[in-house]
Amino acid sequence: MAEAIRRRWGHFRRQPVFTGFCLFMAVLALNIIIQTPAKFFTVSNFRILLSKNMPLILTCLGQSVLMMCGVLDLSTGIQLAFVNVIAIMLPQELGVPVGLGWACALTGGVLISLFCGFCIVKLRLPALLTTFSITYIIKGVNVLIMGEPQGKVEKIIYKTYDSVLFGFLPFAALILLAVLLIWQYIKRTRYGRHMYAVGNNPRNAYAVGINPERVQMKAFLIKGFIVGLAGLCLTASNASGNPLQAEEYGIRSLSACMLGGMNFGGWGTLSCGLFGAGFLVIVQNAVYYLFNFLTKAIQGLMINSYWQNLVSDTIIFLGLLATIITAKAQRETLKQGFVKQLKRGEKYGG
Amino acid sequence: MFEMRGITKDFDAVKALKGASLSVRPGEIRSLLGANGSGKSTLVKVLAGLVKPDGGEVFIDGKPVRIRTSYDSKQLGIATAFQDLSLIPTMTVIDNIKLNKETVGHFGTIDVKKDRRDVEELLKLFRVRCDLDAYAQTLMPSTQSMLEVAKAVYAKPRLLLLDEVTATLHHDEIEGLFELLRKLRDEGTAIVYVTHRMKEVAKLCDSATIMRNGETVAELARDELNDLDGIVYHMTGKVPDKAKACGAQAAAAEGEALLEVSGLKYSPKVRDLSLTAYKGEILGIGGLDGQGQSEFIRLLLGEFQPEAGAIRYRGKEVRFRRPAEAVENGIGFISGERNREAIFPLRTIAENLFVGRTATGGLFKFIGNRRVNGFAREAVEKYNIKVGELEDPASSLSGGNQQKLIVARWIAVMPELLLLDDPTKGVDIASRREIHQILRQCAQKGMTVVVSSSDNDELMDLADRIYVFYEGRVQALLSCEDKTQERLVAEMMGFAEKEERANG
Repeated sequence: MAEAIRRRWGHFRRQPVFTGFCLFMAVLALNIIIQTPAKFFTVSNFRILLSKNMPLILTCLGQSVLMMCGVLDLSTGIQLAFVNVIAIMLPQELGVPVGLGWACALTGGVLISLFCGFCIVKLRLPALLTTFSITYIIKGVNVLIMGEPQGKVEKIIYKTYDSVLFGFLPFAALILLAVLLIWQYIKRTRYGRHMYAVGNNPRNAYAVGINPERVQMKAFLIKGFIVGLAGLCLTASNASGNPLQAEEYGIRSLSACMLGGMNFGGWGTLSCGLFGAGFLVIVQNAVYYLFNFLTKAIQGLMINSYWQNLVSDTIIFLGLLATIITAKAQRETLKQGFVKQLKRGEKYGG
Repeated sequence: MFEMRGITKDFDAVKALKGASLSVRPGEIRSLLGANGSGKSTLVKVLAGLVKPDGGEVFIDGKPVRIRTSYDSKQLGIATAFQDLSLIPTMTVIDNIKLNKETVGHFGTIDVKKDRRDVEELLKLFRVRCDLDAYAQTLMPSTQSMLEVAKAVYAKPRLLLLDEVTATLHHDEIEGLFELLRKLRDEGTAIVYVTHRMKEVAKLCDSATIMRNGETVAELARDELNDLDGIVYHMTGKVPDKAKACGAQAAAAEGEALLEVSGLKYSPKVRDLSLTAYKGEILGIGGLDGQGQSEFIRLLLGEFQPEAGAIRYRGKEVRFRRPAEAVENGIGFISGERNREAIFPLRTIAENLFVGRTATGGLFKFIGNRRVNGFAREAVEKYNIKVGELEDPASSLSGGNQQKLIVARWIAVMPELLLLDDPTKGVDIASRREIHQILRQCAQKGMTVVVSSSDNDELMDLADRIYVFYEGRVQALLSCEDKTQERLVAEMMGFAEKEERANG
């Protein structure tokens, strides 16, 4: 028994998700201490944490799907705003039924993701630079559609989104579970294996008869769907539209994936993205409560939100350093992976 | 019956294949032989669908087929084990072997249990013992090679291509593999076996196709495979002389030793290298690709740190920690990989020439434009290098002239020891001749030149003595009448027995 546990532990230690898991657990423990267990383990606390952060968490999951295939998309963040803008403006301006409008928004998210995929995979443009510039294109389109933050969402939608089912299950958690379940299925199909193969070495994957382009395009499709969902969650959670929000989610999701132990090139699972996102969310939460505690403890202490960001981002920075130092063997692949994002893709079978 | 006829392929200016042909019958193991760059690997890649030929036809059972992608190749029943492996390092043994051949079970998911059983069975056949859930990158090189073959065999191909798969295998593993291949042959699989090891050819193969410079020059039957002289003749186009012993006395007469290397080791490529370079000589290093030549050069330069062994330079034992230290001590390095290791394509020709000198000066030393250009002009005139305007970017020069530029860069600082790693790779014949001339002049002035080359003609032409590397060791030292093209090729292939092995 003890032997079996030790073996499983040894196996787990070599998994890509290990550092991400440790980081997540560490900040989680910190957060519980700061917030006191009695207040942390409440249904309403979980509800707020999840519903507020679901867009970011989903974005991270989408990004990790791409990274598994050796690509990335920096414009993921602003794509959320794009979905948000469509979901608000279609019903408001054209009188489209809300259900249809939201379905269109989701489709829009998928299409724009496929466009990014087309540029990177088919035209073989460097991923990092291309999606960076696409960010500004999408931003412009967003502002064209919606000049300034406006609009509202029907009460039933955001009430449902913020609701708790059966007295313990926040609605937002349901969305997350659904995405994870779908992933569990994909992982077990042949496509799941091919993703890893293409991510690590597209040339070798090609040599066994896999079409790397098709695999990567499908990854953009999956990511588009997840990001579409994230955009809808954002809309429900904010109950309004803003064409310029969530842009930083693109780079945040990237850092979350790396915190979670993800690597360019077929190393890491969706849970890397999940734990990485969890780390970001919990760090922010913990720092918020820490400053709350400080203002109460010290008379006359004034806090602004930049201080909080400074502290939380410093912790995130340290976390990134930790993953890079602990994953010594992966350092070289990480470096090569980054270089790959700056270069034009290769053509196979030429 | 698989047949290729008149296959041609150009990589930019290099003609890799010029009407090569190959045919193999079911139940035949055919070896594909040839020197470096004769186009063997390219021919294999054409069949594997990794290289699209410019011309020529492929026939299967008399019917013409087209192989556009690796998928087509698989569909035609062709499987390949690649020289540089095609395993995915971050995937497990099972996933690697089953990649793109996964068993689909319920609802489109992979039947993991069946896959495991299949792989277990397969590896038992190959007598490979390893953890099936281990990542490929954690396995030993020999195990990886076996998996590469196993993966290809698992596809149950009608034509099996093996490209130098035994390079990292141990003796008993090779025996087991051969047994298996013979069984496959008897079951009617056609096998093409690419190798540099002649002993394996005689032992395993039924016939041979020999390539030279991208052309198929000979087809040999079973009983001709033991005739090594005949094979060497076809590979080089010359009749080999019987090798004559030439003592080390010629070398000793050269005088003062500048560089003495003993027992150098740098895993996995360099195993045990010892050699001596004398003042004012041109020392050649020959061998097949990847026998440790470029690692050896970089060990001397201090780019890599040796695991064992000693380097004595100017009579003192040295260990350079980085190339800068070596350069300060009068060592120059010219690489054939000019784009990767030598040229600064956007900077001017003058700056490219001067940069070798800056390496020896102080970091914040002031350098005027006039000084750079003056230096460059002098170098250009002195060594008769025809370049364009000194202010033009280096990328404006042709490949051959760029290489001359690199040579001039180092010659101009007059190093005591000049290291060259395949300096004339892809350089046209005229520039090559000029570079050779410059090197000879330098040697006469007392510079020691160590040149590694994959081009045998270059070595014959240039070097006073040639060390032949084979699998990280010195296979032979050729000098005076020993120094013949035929002997060189024979030694490169590792023909000579151990007792004949000369050491420097």
